[in-house]
Amino acid sequence: MPRSENDIAIVGYAISPMLRRTDQTETMMMLPVVAGAIKSAGLTKDDIGFTVSGSCDYLSGQAFSFVSNVDAYGAWPPINESHVEMDGSFALYEAFVRLLQGDIDTALAAGVGKNSNSDPSTLYTIEMDPYYLTPLGADPWSLHALQYRALLDSGKTTERDVAELVARNRASAKENIHAQVSGDYDVDELLAADYIRTPLRRHDLPPITDGCAAVVLARGQKAYELCERPAWITGIDHRIEPHLPTLRDLTTSVSTTQAAKGAGLDAGPVEVAELHAPFSYQELILAESLGLDADTQINPSGGALAANPVMATGLIRIIEAAKQIIENGKRRTLAHTTSGPCLQQNLVAILEGDE
Amino acid sequence: MADVVRESVFRLQFPFQRTLGPTIGAFASALAEQTLIGVKVGDRVITPPLEYDPENGADAGTDFVRVGPKGTVTTWTWVPEPTHLHPLAHPFAFAFVLLDGADTPMFHAVNVGSVDDMRTGMRVEPRWRAECEGRIDDLEAFVPATDDGPSDGAGEPWVAPAELPVDHMEMDCDLTYVDNSAPATLIWMRALLDGKLLGQTCPVCGRTYVGPRGLCCVDAIELDETHLVEVPDRGVVTNFTIITPTPYPGQTETEPFVRCSILLEGTDAVLNQQTVLEIPASEVRVGLHVECVWAPPEERNVDDVGNRGWGVGGDCMRGWRPTGQPDEPAENYVERMM
Repeated sequence: MPRSENDIAIVGYAISPMLRRTDQTETMMMLPVVAGAIKSAGLTKDDIGFTVSGSCDYLSGQAFSFVSNVDAYGAWPPINESHVEMDGSFALYEAFVRLLQGDIDTALAAGVGKNSNSDPSTLYTIEMDPYYLTPLGADPWSLHALQYRALLDSGKTTERDVAELVARNRASAKENIHAQVSGDYDVDELLAADYIRTPLRRHDLPPITDGCAAVVLARGQKAYELCERPAWITGIDHRIEPHLPTLRDLTTSVSTTQAAKGAGLDAGPVEVAELHAPFSYQELILAESLGLDADTQINPSGGALAANPVMATGLIRIIEAAKQIIENGKRRTLAHTTSGPCLQQNLVAILEGDE
Repeated sequence: MADVVRESVFRLQFPFQRTLGPTIGAFASALAEQTLIGVKVGDRVITPPLEYDPENGADAGTDFVRVGPKGTVTTWTWVPEPTHLHPLAHPFAFAFVLLDGADTPMFHAVNVGSVDDMRTGMRVEPRWRAECEGRIDDLEAFVPATDDGPSDGAGEPWVAPAELPVDHMEMDCDLTYVDNSAPATLIWMRALLDGKLLGQTCPVCGRTYVGPRGLCCVDAIELDETHLVEVPDRGVVTNFTIITPTPYPGQTETEPFVRCSILLEGTDAVLNQQTVLEIPASEVRVGLHVECVWAPPEERNVDDVGNRGWGVGGDCMRGWRPTGQPDEPAENYVERMM
């Protein structure tokens, strides 16, 4: 199918090593990744029409680190630049919308997180509702354990099903050079581990990861000039639910279903789905909310359980879905990313390659 | 001599005082009376109350009703090792508790002896702190209900007083970070302890950055040890401000003081936030030639040097004093002011 000048594709990308602890700053983590993404698209930094990143100063604890990070772009002469305090996948969404204006034909989106400086069990309490949750120290482990319990109580799954899912993701991650956690694990041994927060065990949590990812988008004919087989973003949608987890049915994800509809999932099957499920059992909620069946391969990369550089994890899901088209010849794939506690916000993108 | 700092603990604390408004303020005012309320929105009662209908964003109004005090656990987890942020110091449960008369659960702690005492569907009731001031943690925790009966008064109207007794809350943020010194920062620290200033020169554009940054921010390429250069500890003031100190935690200055930017000879990026010695603040000016006053080697340390800003000299540089040379003409540094 011929593409129009309003169609936008992923034409280049780069992913950093996924480390438990880097000795570098966020800016220095970004530098080679931004350069690598631009180079993979056959461009130079001066060719990029718009640049946007996703990061959060609270992760590294360095005020205005998102401003220092602009150094990684070589932003002189001045560039058109933006930033979201969200995962890089939402930066990609902004770049996508910016390209639709039609006056530029390339954009760069990045996500970076130096997560090892802080303690997630205390840091994320300040991200919660400041009146009803933060004063109680509502930490992500507890909130997600409550979601997992609700899912178990609904009868939709069992702890064994979820442990099998973890083992499958870690085994898939053996083929992923960007995995931090991978290998063959025995389900009975996983189930023998202590609870961190019942029913969550350590293997149900994502690893703490320092990492970065970047993509180059191109519009219309430019995409064909830069990439033999562009991964066209044929639909992308982002939906948000109430911020308090107590106001939602935590066993399903209405916003994921809505975003998938908005992104055009209904138009046909997807061969691969990369789902952003930082807590193991969330993959089941997402797969059900998307209506995926056994014909769709889920998270061949190992997903967020293999590496979780918060602020880049979602963007990596989009890159992995794009790689399936650019490198593996797949026709149609899906990428999902999330933000906020217990799947509050969800973004779905549908990617397609040419026949 | 002091050593470089490879890892530093950084505690980030700041106080918030939050105003509460007509809905959360009503909930807080009710808490101070050891009463739980929700807001009626259509045919639902939302607890804790919100100012808007979460279904559609419409104004939820202030049609408050009493809920609970008893409720039912709808999901729960066990916290075996509480942090300093948690409401109880010993192992406890977090749960969603659907209070009698409410249609949405609230998040809170449940205080029971062991994980074996918890189950979905169990009935609980609040245990209040002795002194209630209108915060969600006035309710110390829920505990197992003492009887099977329903709550008294659930669903009865609760009318907010014309002037809410609780209209704000204090909330302190307290986070601890463990940062590690980046390779370029370690190079800068070692040089400072030796009484030297180092920079890196970009092989593409020729700019020299002080101190080493590990990258050229114009060409976006990595710089390494092969790009290091020793730079003079003499330069010119390119920009300055006189700060009149206001008291805040950690402020040690009491009199107006100067902070200036200094462009070292032969370099392209200024050192920021520098101190000028030996002359009054009123005599500091752009174009002033200055030289570094080093602390004696035994008094140098780099405890304050980290990745959080370039040009910080720790306790190695005392500051900068005028050299007495004629002032530098502006055209020689006007593009290197910041």
